[in-house]
Amino acid sequence: PTDDSDPWWAAFSGACKAMNLTLEPEIFPAATDSRFIRAVGIPALGFSPMNRTPVLLHDHNERLHEDIFLRGVDIYTGLLSALASVPTLPSES
Amino acid sequence: MTTKDPESEHPSVTLFRQYLRICTVQPNPDYGGAITFLEERARQLGLSCQKIEVVPGFVITVLTWPGTNPSLPSILLNSHTDVVPVFKEHWHHDPFEAFKDSEGYIYARGSQDMKSVSIQYLEAVRRLKSEGHRFPRTIHMTFVPDEEVGGHKGMELFVKRPEFQALRAGFVLDEGLANPTDAFTVFYSERSPWWVQVTSTGK
Repeated sequence: PTDDSDPWWAAFSGACKAMNLTLEPEIFPAATDSRFIRAVGIPALGFSPMNRTPVLLHDHNERLHEDIFLRGVDIYTGLLSALASVPTLPSES
Repeated sequence: MTTKDPESEHPSVTLFRQYLRICTVQPNPDYGGAITFLEERARQLGLSCQKIEVVPGFVITVLTWPGTNPSLPSILLNSHTDVVPVFKEHWHHDPFEAFKDSEGYIYARGSQDMKSVSIQYLEAVRRLKSEGHRFPRTIHMTFVPDEEVGGHKGMELFVKRPEFQALRAGFVLDEGLANPTDAFTVFYSERSPWWVQVTSTGK
């Protein structure tokens, strides 16, 4: 779920908001390993912090600007701090 | 931040380019090279490193940063180590050289899908750890083979293993896609693969 009733979405999107990131929630247009994870009942989000970047996966001249890459490290620093600090959920106690 | 002087390159970028040069390209990925690289990262970061061979030759590598309350379910940061093949003649730079041009673009197969993410996980953990942060939840980084050909010798088997159960994942991050605008795309679901074989008899 992508609303704040879901604690993981709330933590993820809250951390993005704190970093002034604009998010566009979508359904992945292909298939990846997340489907196996969701199939065993674990919530998963697909996120690669690459904005201002042409979609070149599987294409010739796949590339990434080093500044976008480095900002991605900053973004994960914020995301991990938030996600790894989510307090015990009702479902976990 | 962009530097034309290779001597002053940001160490995270250097590490990224190093990982891009490991030729984990389908159909015969150098998984051994990737595992050696990850084991070295674990050693340098002071993280435990677990290897689970789900099929002979197909190993999941798990790097773990224990939380202060390890009884809580963990955060799992997943990435795949393989990349799709190339038609080298169409590339402006060798796809496994990780060439960085004068504007700061790094060219490589895997630069978007998804070696950038693997290194970003590692570098974010390194930074947080070196700054002395501790969090309640354990963080596991899983590096899996075989995603680009369906994950049947990777994640599909791993989620059924006791070693996966033992990670007690409460929430998972995995790959997304680039976005050409200022915004970032986040995927909360995905399409179900449904391969169809069409046989035409010419009638």
